[in-house]
Amino acid sequence: MKYICSVCGYVYDEEAEKIPFASLPDDWVCPMCRAPKNLFVPEESEAREPADEPQEAEEYHDSRKLSPGVLAAIFSNLARGAEKQYRAKEAEAFTAIAAYFTRHSDSGDSSSPEAIRALLSDDLSRGYPDLRKKAAAAGDRGAARVLVWGEKVTRMASSLLERYEKEGEAFLAGTSVWLCTVCGFIYIGDNPPGICPVCKVPSWKFTRIE
Amino acid sequence: MKRIAVRNLRLCTKDCLCLYVCPYGATDTEDSIIDASKCTGCGICADACPSGAISMVPEDYPPQQVKTDEVKNAIEKLAYSRTLAEAKARRAASESGKDGLRRLMKAIEGSSRLVAEDLMREGRYMLPQSSNALDLTSALLDDPPSKDFPEESAREILSRIRCNDRKESGGSYRCSVCFTEFTADEGETPICPMCHASGKDLETI
Repeated sequence: MKYICSVCGYVYDEEAEKIPFASLPDDWVCPMCRAPKNLFVPEESEAREPADEPQEAEEYHDSRKLSPGVLAAIFSNLARGAEKQYRAKEAEAFTAIAAYFTRHSDSGDSSSPEAIRALLSDDLSRGYPDLRKKAAAAGDRGAARVLVWGEKVTRMASSLLERYEKEGEAFLAGTSVWLCTVCGFIYIGDNPPGICPVCKVPSWKFTRIE
Repeated sequence: MKRIAVRNLRLCTKDCLCLYVCPYGATDTEDSIIDASKCTGCGICADACPSGAISMVPEDYPPQQVKTDEVKNAIEKLAYSRTLAEAKARRAASESGKDGLRRLMKAIEGSSRLVAEDLMREGRYMLPQSSNALDLTSALLDDPPSKDFPEESAREILSRIRCNDRKESGGSYRCSVCFTEFTADEGETPICPMCHASGKDLETI
């Protein structure tokens, strides 16, 4: 039997490893991305794709009602776009608008690790499957691509919060937190991984959180 | 399609062959940025560069794939949730007295922003040149959400970036702010040359 890491795709092959997956200790983590044991899924169940069902036509809601937080992400992304095209002045202007919306973004009532994890869990159980279904129905490969990394990165972030809730400060004492600046994957360790387990960029694309 | 040369300063090792080969002097600048007004797009500099630091980029980028309403809604819903998580993590990081939690929250803040950016890139805001990006900027300038909105930056964007997926018909405009009359060419975003007003502040004449 094989078990697949739902974050990075690492395959744990019981036959090759000689240890049944179930016998691995609870604190065993993925050797590639350090995802916990509970994020591994048996190989068979992975291939299960939701069947395409006819979609009810849905109207687009008013885009003028985008939240300040979403507007901040739109403008910081446009700043990146301008920078890629070597348009420094335009990048600076987009960054100024992004900073304005970041200042005005609303964090709601609670900012506890539990509240953040609840949001991420909801994205994983509803938001991402919904987008997957809609992207498949529309034959939209770009939208399908965006889910692949986002979902894995979100799964990892959620599991790190869960671990922090259990272990507290001891979990992060004396070690570093690394962020992949391309896909947003978070890694805990003394050194960054050789390549990003999610988007496969080299280690120098990781930044250490100070 | 017209292309122009741009230099990536992260790769440039100052061998300066581009300076030597360019027939038009476009690479001969003080600030290391190739002069787009002199560049004819011949590509000789890009071929000569031993560091591979010069790329030929299109002057007009192709329009982005059209999105269905269902996909747009699903993307924006997720982006909303991710940016809410980002704001919560930012607050948690600034309020936390614990070093480990502070670092984890900073990472989640950064991670959430990257994921939201990627979502909105796919949600029709990929290119600075897109009508979506420029219309959004223009709408914010017309009706700023609050007094401290950086209007100068929005004007700067609208005056410097030409839309790639909508053909402005061009023509004569009168600015309703300062009453200047001016003309804009086809494909150019009309901006008042005197006071930089745009959008609904301009009437066609």
